[in-house]
Amino acid sequence: MVRKNIKGPDPKKPPEKINDFFKSRNWKPFPFQTKTWKAYRDGKSGLVHAPTGTGKTYAVWAPPLLEWMDANHSDSKRPKLQVLWLTPLRALVEDTTRSLCELVEELEIAWTVESRTGDTSGNIKAKQRRNFPSALVTTPESLSLLLSYPETKECFSELQTVVVDEWHELLSTKRGSQTELCLARLRKWNPNLRTWGLSATLGNLEEAMAALVGNQKDGVLIDGDIKKKFIVKTIIPKNMECFPWAGHLGGKLLEQVAEAIEKKSTSLVFTNVRSQTEYWFDALLNIRPEWKGQIGIHHGSIDRKERTEVENRLRAGSIKAVVCTSSLDLGVDFSPVEQVIQIGGPKGIARLLQRAGRCGHQPGATSNILCVPTQAMELIEYAAARHSINQRKIEQREPLQSPLDLLAQHLITLALGGGFKEKETLKEIRTAWSFRNLTKDEWNWTIEFIVQGGKTLRAYDQFKRVVFREGLYCVESNRISRFHRMSIGTITSDPAISVKFQTGKTLGTIEESFISRIKIGSRFFFSGKLLTLIRIRDLTAVVKLARKGKGAIPVWGGGKSPVSSELANSVRERIEEFRQGQSKQPEMKAMTRTLTLQSQWSCLPKFSEFLIEKTLTKDGNNWFLFPFAGRLAHEGLASLIAFRMSKLEPMTLSVSFNDYGLNLCSNSEKDINEKTWRILLQPKGLIEELLQCMNQSEMAKRQFREVARVAGLIFQGYPGAQKSIKQVQASGGLFFDVFSKYDPENLLLTQARREVLDRQLEISRLTKKLKEIQSQNLIIKETDRLTPFSFPLWAESLRTQISSESWSDRVRKMAQELEAI
Amino acid sequence: MTEGIKISWNKISLTLLPDRAIYWPSKKVIFIADPHFGKAATFRQSGIPIPEHGTEDDCTRLSKLIEDNSANSLVILGDFFHARLGKTQEIHDILLRWREKFWELNIHLIRGNHDLSSGDPWNDLQIKCHQDPFDLFDLECRHIPSKQSKKPYLAGHIHPGFTLRGKGKNRIRAACFHVNNSQIVLPAFGSFTGLKNINPEDGDQIFLTNGEEIIKVPWGN
Repeated sequence: MVRKNIKGPDPKKPPEKINDFFKSRNWKPFPFQTKTWKAYRDGKSGLVHAPTGTGKTYAVWAPPLLEWMDANHSDSKRPKLQVLWLTPLRALVEDTTRSLCELVEELEIAWTVESRTGDTSGNIKAKQRRNFPSALVTTPESLSLLLSYPETKECFSELQTVVVDEWHELLSTKRGSQTELCLARLRKWNPNLRTWGLSATLGNLEEAMAALVGNQKDGVLIDGDIKKKFIVKTIIPKNMECFPWAGHLGGKLLEQVAEAIEKKSTSLVFTNVRSQTEYWFDALLNIRPEWKGQIGIHHGSIDRKERTEVENRLRAGSIKAVVCTSSLDLGVDFSPVEQVIQIGGPKGIARLLQRAGRCGHQPGATSNILCVPTQAMELIEYAAARHSINQRKIEQREPLQSPLDLLAQHLITLALGGGFKEKETLKEIRTAWSFRNLTKDEWNWTIEFIVQGGKTLRAYDQFKRVVFREGLYCVESNRISRFHRMSIGTITSDPAISVKFQTGKTLGTIEESFISRIKIGSRFFFSGKLLTLIRIRDLTAVVKLARKGKGAIPVWGGGKSPVSSELANSVRERIEEFRQGQSKQPEMKAMTRTLTLQSQWSCLPKFSEFLIEKTLTKDGNNWFLFPFAGRLAHEGLASLIAFRMSKLEPMTLSVSFNDYGLNLCSNSEKDINEKTWRILLQPKGLIEELLQCMNQSEMAKRQFREVARVAGLIFQGYPGAQKSIKQVQASGGLFFDVFSKYDPENLLLTQARREVLDRQLEISRLTKKLKEIQSQNLIIKETDRLTPFSFPLWAESLRTQISSESWSDRVRKMAQELEAI
Repeated sequence: MTEGIKISWNKISLTLLPDRAIYWPSKKVIFIADPHFGKAATFRQSGIPIPEHGTEDDCTRLSKLIEDNSANSLVILGDFFHARLGKTQEIHDILLRWREKFWELNIHLIRGNHDLSSGDPWNDLQIKCHQDPFDLFDLECRHIPSKQSKKPYLAGHIHPGFTLRGKGKNRIRAACFHVNNSQIVLPAFGSFTGLKNINPEDGDQIFLTNGEEIIKVPWGN
């Protein structure tokens, strides 16, 4: 497709219209918007990065419209599909469609904008496939699904541009790799296709852009950073305790949070995990019963209808506050939001920035975020995050490397969508950034896997997933087509149990692992309600409202993400500033007593020092180490040291860890000198020993669940699923066992192990840390009592041993004893 | 493989075997449940690559159980087949070869929910099929457990599993026998079958097995 000459007979006319649009809203185009428009006209692709609420959308949406008007300004016929707009969240699709429509209506052109997701009805989908709108707003999964229909190629024949919204969200995920694969296919159909990404600020923008535009070298990186103002404030507890322990502090600040909510018309209250959302929603209603109906709850497990209702009320400004998790981190414009409250540590700089951006959404407005610590160390995190935000030092997000489960899925999609040839397709796949280093062996294995079922298996007659016919790989069986299309789009979702009232009203979904531990007749909190479980059947938990009382709060998987390296480094810098008496931030001032005690009783380590504390408690001999490397790396390191220690001398060790350090506790009297610590902490043999000592196969088994699902081995059930689906359902663990036994060379197993090392143990971070320790001085301090740094670790180690009530009692008592000294 | 655990249950003595079976010495009968033959084949027909060795392995395990205990009879508590789609020639040949080694053995099958839709085993396997429930050797044999049953019974269907939790993140999940005065639910025999975690009640006994060893779980004493 040749692009038409951009010079129309009256080139001035369309920009005037755009200016009118901006004027009517009292806006002025920002330089970065004009820059984007120009780059687009030059036929370039690129990435626009700017904080939320700065007009990124119009920067990339106006150009294709203007170009079309230049070329066809008198044409009143609706064009074929011109723009494909991808967004990471289904929930954003409708809002995006609405805001794209606005400009089209303003310009009075014959474009149509429609959405397409898993929620779109079959009727409309079929209609769309025959007759596409001029611009389609959809998700990566839905695009992938479209590529499985041969007729899509013709429908996309005039496609000019693909816009990927919130690219930073997708970048380092399998859905990001999926997007890259789809883009590779679209570029093969039209080599002049332009790809534009919108992203929040990242530490590795160059790479983010390269991943988006594939092998095209002429991508343009456009800095939309218009110095949006961010104000990070913290509620500082009046009586600062020196002995921080997780979780209990927030409750004391409840009243202050309620007062902050009272002062503004609409607030978003972010927590880090879904269970905290349930807790805070309940706690706020307890002290402000009159807020019933005026505050809402929003997280990924709550039913879509309820979530949509909350979102609509937010948009209308008719809700006082919404307690939420990352489910409201992204995109949608909730202009009425005046204030954002963050409960607990930010864990990442980008994340705090993103959340702050949820208010002051109009271009030029200031974003305010109020931070509420749940333990004292988080005060340093806020100071550190504010510092990094001011310096614009943001985390990196790394694209994945050759996820073969996804490749298998994509190749079957291509086989369905008209078939593929081996040689040219390998070339195409390698233009997708995540697969640029795909080896010939990996490629061959994947082809064999989808055609014969794998390398070491006998070829079975019945196994005909993908067949080779006249030079083309294609799918012939209807049953396989149907199953495959059903399984696209299940990358992230875990099998979930839907929670329903007896009347049939759905409340949301909950993880099977949680609900299976709740006995029939027991109570639990969900969706802001106290519920009694009546029965579980066919992936549905039937519940009724419970009378007042206590209930369990579900803990959802994957909730606790580690503090980012960048933030942890910034925390160390703040501590160093304090050591040198140069702290200025209020949070650091509030920490004065705590940090002074730490340096008196033990030490505040310099950058060139690595601190190890040894303390005798009732539980035994405790060693505390402080690598500041995040909880995942600490979990791995704790297991590794325990493993190495027990090789020196058989002993029983218990371990605990948090984002800043780890604790090893033993009954042994053995003293460990500096030389031995050096051996225990050496990076050599790290991966091999870690694999030996962690319950590695158990972890890999759990990880395999996702791999198996993406590779199309597991079909997710749903209530009332047909028998033919139920017959071919098995758990990821079962596949793992069967493959480990009969096909140990299966590369999907290798991939699951690699994902465990990367994601669950942050192996690269751990390796880097151990290398760093080699060059540091070991400071070994024997302390008479627990220190402010070690106290939270000690409290954490106690948690796994005793019941939660006596735990709080014991920890509180110990904290009081130490405070009194 | 370790020996089984002998239990006295409603005045009969039974041996719970690690290989997910029960032996009744005085009647010389082996009980198993839920072999789900042809499950891997069903998966392959749907484009999911699962190797077949499982069926052969399951037959070998069955042979060993019968030979080690010199059993005369075998009772299968339902779900002989997984699905009609998996009743392939290949599975038929493997099963017939196994049957020919044990011509003397009496085999009974209580039809399970999967058998109802996939149909009875091939005639040449010579398996007597009964409706669920059915009394064999004066003992009620079921596929689906039922609280309404007046008599103590053996059953399958559930694929019972149990998770033992230790300190920290330590945990072991395995198949189990779920025993109380009114029932024994057997673990699924087939090697390509999943588990469903059970919620035992007070007084229930749980015997966990990994195929090699069987242990009694300290549960509610």
